[in-house]
Amino acid sequence: MFNRWEDLCNVISLRPLLPAVGLPTPVLPTWCLILYFLDIFHNMDFSIRPATLEDCKDIARMLLELAEYEKVLDQIKVTQKDLEQDGFIKNPFFHGIVAEVPEEHRSKEGHTKVGYALYFYSYSSWKGRAVYMEDLYVMPEFRGKGIGKALMSKVAQLGLAAGCSLLNFSVLDWNKPSLDFYLSQGCSDITADMGYHCMRCEGDELEKLAQGGT
Amino acid sequence: MDRFKLRKAEPQDVPDILRLIKELAKYEEMEDQVILTEKDLLEDGFGDHPFYHCVVAEVPSEQQNSNNNGSVVIGFAMYYFTYDPWIGKLLYLEDFFVMKEYRGFGIGSEILKLLSLVSNTAVKTRCSSMHFIVAEGNQASIEFYKRRGAADLSLEEGWRLFKIDKSSLLKMSSGPEE
Repeated sequence: MFNRWEDLCNVISLRPLLPAVGLPTPVLPTWCLILYFLDIFHNMDFSIRPATLEDCKDIARMLLELAEYEKVLDQIKVTQKDLEQDGFIKNPFFHGIVAEVPEEHRSKEGHTKVGYALYFYSYSSWKGRAVYMEDLYVMPEFRGKGIGKALMSKVAQLGLAAGCSLLNFSVLDWNKPSLDFYLSQGCSDITADMGYHCMRCEGDELEKLAQGGT
Repeated sequence: MDRFKLRKAEPQDVPDILRLIKELAKYEEMEDQVILTEKDLLEDGFGDHPFYHCVVAEVPSEQQNSNNNGSVVIGFAMYYFTYDPWIGKLLYLEDFFVMKEYRGFGIGSEILKLLSLVSNTAVKTRCSSMHFIVAEGNQASIEFYKRRGAADLSLEEGWRLFKIDKSSLLKMSSGPEE
C-alpha cells in the first residue's frame, strides 16, 4: 500500500481545499494523510469466493508461505498439480475458498489473491457431520483487515449449510497470534481441555503396519 | 479366538456401530456427548456421498444378539479421507474399538492392518499417512499405537487440536464481513 505514490499525490492535491475547512495549511496534510491511510485500513475491499482450478497456482504459492511461517518448508510434498488433481475432481479431497482484493490494492509483488482457506468434510462419531479447516492464511501485508475472520466465517457458513455441527482445526502451540485469534472467536483448545493428542502413522511405519508388524 | 472376520460395514450394521460408538465413548468417560442417532449414521455413511467409511469385526454368535448370519459385531473402525496440502491425501481414523472381552486376540491389530492396506494400496486413495487422536490419559492405547510406530504430533511438533461447536459456529457464520 505504501508504494502507491499516485494515491499520495491525489491526497496532497487536496491542499487547495485546506483553507475551506479552517485549519492551518501546514498541519492538515499530515492529518489528511493519517485519516486517508486509516480509511484504507478500515475500508479495504475484498471478496471471498470458492477456489477454481486457476487459483491452484496462488494457493500453492500461499501454502508455501504458510509452511515457511510454520518453519516446515522442507516437509512440503504437494505441488500445484496435486492440488489441481485432488481438489477439482468429481469427489474432491478438499474444498477451497480464496480472498481477493481489487487490482489497485494488489500486493507488493502484484498479487490480488491474498488469502485462502482449505477445508473438507469429516465425521464425529459423537456429533455427526463435521468440517475440518486444514489451512487458513492471509498474506502478512493484508492482515488486520478482517480477511482471516471473513474466511473462517465463510467456512463456518458452508459447514452449517452442509449440516455440520462442528468445526475442527489444529494450531501450533508456539503460534500465539493465531491461538489468541481463535480463542477470541469462541474456539476451544481440546488438547488442553480434554487431553486429546494428534497422532500420526506414516511412511515406513504405515507400510509395516500394513504388513502386520508390531 | 481364531474365528473372527473383518468386513466392510453394511446398512444393517448401523445399530451395532452406534452401540460400539457409545461403548467407546463410555470408555473415554464421554458417553453423554454422543448425540448421533441410527438415522444419522445411515444417512451419512450409506448415501451417495458418504461422510465416513466403516469396517466391522464379527465373531460367530454363541447366544444372544446375533445378526442375520449368526454372528455378532464386536469391534469396528470408522474412518474417512482427509487432505494435508503439504503431503496430500491422508486416512483419518475417527473411532477404533474392540469390546473388552475380545481384546488381546489380535483383532485390533488386524483392523489396523486392514486400514493401512486401504490407505497404502487403494489406487484412488493412495495416502501418505494415517492420523487419529488419543486422549493423553489413555495410556494403554498410546502404548499400543507407539509400538506400531505412531508419533505423538502434539508432543513432538506442538500441534493443538481446536474445536468450535454449533452455537459458536452460528455466531461466526453470521458475523459481519469487514
